[in-house]
Amino acid sequence: MSKKKKSLTLAQKEQRLAYKLLLPTLLILVIIAIYPLGQVFYTSLTDKTFASGDEGHNFVGFDNYKKLLSITIKELPPVLDEDGNQKIDPETNEPIYERPIRILPRKPVRYRELSQFGFFDKRYVIGATDPDFISAIGNTIVFTVVSVALETILGLIIALVVNSNFRGRGVMRTVMLVPWAVITVVSARMWEWMLQPNRIGFFNTLLERFGIGDGQLAFLTTKELQLPSIIAVDVWKTTPFMALLLLAGLQLIPDTLYEAADIDGASKVRQFFTITLPLLKPTIAVALVFRTLDALRVFDVFQVLLSNRRYSMASYNYFQLIGNRNMGLASAIGVIIFILIAIFAVSYIRLLGVDADE
Amino acid sequence: MNKKTLKVLNRVGFWILICFIFIYMLFPFYWAINSSLKSESQLQMTPATFVPRDPETMSIAPTLKNYIAVIKDGQFTRGLWNSTVVAVSTTVLALLVGSFAAFALGKLRFRGKRASLYIILAMTMFPQVTILSGLYAVINKLGIGAKLSMILSYMIFTLPFTTWVLTSFFKDLPVEIMESAQVDGATPFQTFRKILLPLTAPALVTTGLLSFIAAWNEYLFALTFTSIDPASRTVPVAISLFTGSVSRQEPFGEIMAAAVLVTVPIVVLVLIFQKRIIAGLTAGAVKG
Repeated sequence: MSKKKKSLTLAQKEQRLAYKLLLPTLLILVIIAIYPLGQVFYTSLTDKTFASGDEGHNFVGFDNYKKLLSITIKELPPVLDEDGNQKIDPETNEPIYERPIRILPRKPVRYRELSQFGFFDKRYVIGATDPDFISAIGNTIVFTVVSVALETILGLIIALVVNSNFRGRGVMRTVMLVPWAVITVVSARMWEWMLQPNRIGFFNTLLERFGIGDGQLAFLTTKELQLPSIIAVDVWKTTPFMALLLLAGLQLIPDTLYEAADIDGASKVRQFFTITLPLLKPTIAVALVFRTLDALRVFDVFQVLLSNRRYSMASYNYFQLIGNRNMGLASAIGVIIFILIAIFAVSYIRLLGVDADE
Repeated sequence: MNKKTLKVLNRVGFWILICFIFIYMLFPFYWAINSSLKSESQLQMTPATFVPRDPETMSIAPTLKNYIAVIKDGQFTRGLWNSTVVAVSTTVLALLVGSFAAFALGKLRFRGKRASLYIILAMTMFPQVTILSGLYAVINKLGIGAKLSMILSYMIFTLPFTTWVLTSFFKDLPVEIMESAQVDGATPFQTFRKILLPLTAPALVTTGLLSFIAAWNEYLFALTFTSIDPASRTVPVAISLFTGSVSRQEPFGEIMAAAVLVTVPIVVLVLIFQKRIIAGLTAGAVKG
């Protein structure tokens, strides 16, 4: 019998060993990822509160999702004077419309104003039951698209520069790693200091010297400047990573191609578009997927620089969980983020034809 | 314009570009150093000065006051210690568990290999915020402290990464090494422990370093799990919540000093291992 056991084993033994070796990894992943994920799906359907003494909670179905995602659009009727003409604001010369708060539905849930827009002489208001979350989605998407685009372009330029031959190339490649090595929170704090709303901040000092602005630009509290500031911080921190990935891709392109192109008399610009860019496409695609998924999860910079002034999806999730102790709602936000990122990942991979090799 | 001047112009443009990149990459860090060497009154000077200057005489006058205050201040040093404990433990655990899995995935034949590979890979794309509330519940149930919670939860991004990079490394090792060890009567596990693991030492250093940096950098979980246990705060949390010892407004001088203090060791580490880090980053990213 022992002989039989021995003969059947070499392959089997290997298999059994493999399972044993994989067990710790899979166990850890189940405890910290798969089980909590299930938990989050379930909790998102309840009204559980976070860290409260009692563990009781009610099953509320999709109420959390409804609360997060309900949007409505209503026409704002103009305010008329006695003659039936629209009133005009005497100070700004703008026509006056009814106040959104009187138009938006209040029952069964209260809608709050998200934004307004005009269309064919009529004015509409967009209301949401949770305008903070809807704008968090908007903030995150704008942040992702703009910063990833900038990082790709800047990263490509930097990668091309450090890939070409010049004295001090090694130094540049080293310098490139510095922003990447800075902790994200630290880089946010460094930029926060440079973005101070008066001339003790570097940017206001600089801009004033060039005659732009009055030296009093409040980058982090002015609505229009918040996202651009956050994007600038992220671009500084993450462009090196992008440049590194692209540099690795550039080095895979054989030199002989460029030599041949040189002999054929192709210009550098032409070489870039006919050789470099097409051959770099797979690398760019992988880098884009990585950075996009990363950017959609953005938390650190938003939390440190804007905290409760403006949210990303992740920082709103954190706020609902820790700040409002609303575990049910926070879980629903988590699920929505999960679904959004999954959609992005799948469509990106399809679109770009990236395939994980094996 | 003749060809020669065109070439010179090209050259000049190229060097301007290089200077621009150089300044862009280093300036914010320079500004942090500059500010960390300023006293409170120097920090309030308008316009801001490019070197610490005395407000009266405008002569150069740096001070180390902020550094001394930060080092004396309990929360920063405690944060450094917590970060070190958490990041080192995370790295060791991820390397240990990850190398087991990587050996199985890279060198052994078994059913369900592809599936496990993809499950682990999918984890790198997993949005960590999603499980924030669920993970908190799990940790509460397990009843473990904040530091252990962080170590365990950081596995979610370090473990897939170490497994993936080490798998590709194991795969590249020649099969003959394993075969000859087996002929000599070694069990597969002995082969792994005595022969393959020492061979992977360089890869272990690289992935370990990258895991360490990722754990050192982590903020979301750290902020959540230390929300009720301020004594366990790591450096990123401590710096983000820094209030300084005595100051009515935000003590930016001290914050900048703290920023410089935590950045310098990492930068030195990165510069020493830069070639390996680049290789590890690209392997992890391009293959993963």
